[in-house]
Amino acid sequence: MKKQALSVFYMFLITLFFASLVSAVKVLSEGKIQLNEAIKQQRIILRVLQIPVNDKAPDESVIRLFDMRVKAIEGGQKTLYVGYEEDGQTVQGYAFPVGGSGLWGPIEAMVGIDPQATKILGLAFYGHSETPGLGGRITERWFTDQFTGLPLRPIEGDQNIFYLKPEGTAEASNELDAITGATITSSSVEAFLNKELDNFLRNLWGQIERTK
Amino acid sequence: MDYINPVTLFFAAVFTNNILLTNFLGLCPFLSMSRQKRSAVGMGAAVVFVMACTTALNNLVHYKVLVPLGLEHFRYIVFIVVIAAFVQLVEMTVERFFPALYFVMGIFLPLITVNCAIFGASLFMVIRKYDFVQSLAYGAGSGLGWMLAIVAISAIREKLEKTAKLPRGLEGPAITLIITGLLALAFLAFSGMIRVQ
Amino acid sequence: MPGPASKKEVFLTGLWKDNPVLRQVLGICSTLAVTNLMVNTLVMDAGLIFTVCMSSLTVSLLRKYTPMRIRMMVQTLIIASYVIIVDIMIKAYLPDISEALGPYVALIITNCIIMGRAEAFARHNPPLASFIDGLGMSLGYSLVLIAIALVREPLGFGTLLGFRVMPEGFVQWTVMIMAPGAFLTLGIMAWVWKYFWPQKEEKKG
Repeated sequence: MKKQALSVFYMFLITLFFASLVSAVKVLSEGKIQLNEAIKQQRIILRVLQIPVNDKAPDESVIRLFDMRVKAIEGGQKTLYVGYEEDGQTVQGYAFPVGGSGLWGPIEAMVGIDPQATKILGLAFYGHSETPGLGGRITERWFTDQFTGLPLRPIEGDQNIFYLKPEGTAEASNELDAITGATITSSSVEAFLNKELDNFLRNLWGQIERTK
Repeated sequence: MDYINPVTLFFAAVFTNNILLTNFLGLCPFLSMSRQKRSAVGMGAAVVFVMACTTALNNLVHYKVLVPLGLEHFRYIVFIVVIAAFVQLVEMTVERFFPALYFVMGIFLPLITVNCAIFGASLFMVIRKYDFVQSLAYGAGSGLGWMLAIVAISAIREKLEKTAKLPRGLEGPAITLIITGLLALAFLAFSGMIRVQ
Repeated sequence: MPGPASKKEVFLTGLWKDNPVLRQVLGICSTLAVTNLMVNTLVMDAGLIFTVCMSSLTVSLLRKYTPMRIRMMVQTLIIASYVIIVDIMIKAYLPDISEALGPYVALIITNCIIMGRAEAFARHNPPLASFIDGLGMSLGYSLVLIAIALVREPLGFGTLLGFRVMPEGFVQWTVMIMAPGAFLTLGIMAWVWKYFWPQKEEKKG
């Protein structure tokens, strides 16, 4: 009996010690981790608004650039980011988050559009759980750069804003290359991105125009 | 945001994103247990059951206990404890009430606790933010995929042992890994199989 | 247990003679996945070395006090704690790499090597020897992974640590980026290893 009690006590002590150690480390690094998240988001927003930021730029310069050129407007469900040109007055573009389901989990992306909502300025993915090397390639520049310059208009009938076609077969101006070997991820992205863009043009854009 | 169909998840976990052939998890017991078909099937069955249940269980524990209390950073420890406890419980139950079943798969249960695939499945479940039903589907599918891989390899190895004389150095882990690589290559062919909507 | 080996012997055994991956094919699960990029491999290796050494050290320090019956639980707790700390550190200071590594850092906990060393060595030996044993084993393990990454990244991406190493016209071997490439590379390495250095006795691995 005594031996058992001793074991339990020992276990309790050890657990307490290590749990405290882990908690201490967590608390100490929490600030840094949140900062990393925020900066990552800021970099993405700057990128899709075509505001150049060096990948190797230190965090402070990213924060300064963001504060100077972007303003965030909370809109209930979504946050709208307004990007300004260097004069700080003229609107360079708008950015907003979009999301949908991929094959393995939610995919999150940021879309940047020009001030008249006629075309896409940039697209970047910042969250996904797709297969590395296959679906995971949606984050690669060659894929997202395709979207820059894509004309925007609401979905008419069954005419999507854009289509993802097998690599090498894209012909029309609204056909882009899908990712070879990542059929489901590609079709998921096509599906939710079209829907989100259409949704934005029909609903949110009207509100933005009215407040201009 | 659209909800991913658990059935799609299930099939994808078995074929296109096989937890062993794509995510490399569960290799240790895989390499040691795959010499004979019989042990492979037994181990596989145990893995399917444990993986399905613990992934679903850990989903509940994570979202109903850890998150509300703000203790997510302890989830690694908690998951392992849950898995170990669950396996212990199952072993005791099966040994007591289903002796025939114990003979087939029960002896593999202690080995399962160190199967990284089981722990890995729970980890992926958290990263991908599955709900309870999705966790169950994903756990079951992953387990089944693992079982599929190990049974296939064991069948090949059994045949190989009987018929082939391997060049020096290939016996054991080397040939198993190479066969696994070829099998993984073959499974890549499944990636076009599953269609969503 | 054989008589106390010199520190150097202990170290070299883990590094070469009894190399955990190639000889005993232990614990490859967690790390094989990240070997398609050298930088990820290096970070993972660093995490692993830290965990193995600290765990072995801690287990050895506590070996006279830990009751026999609960030693596995205690070992698991120790290992898990160090891994969580490594995971948090990587998330805080190397966020991009943390995302690329995903759940594989956490899987160090279930890595058979750490538990294996705790059980086989650290439990019976003084702290310094245990630390060195852990160091030798984890370095040996890391070397193999680096070797694999040396094959996978150049052939699969055409780069090494981000620097282009393949000529311009090189067509990527996509298979190397994905799972089959890792299996085949490791398999061939294990083959070569065994061919040139066959096991002398039936060393239990």
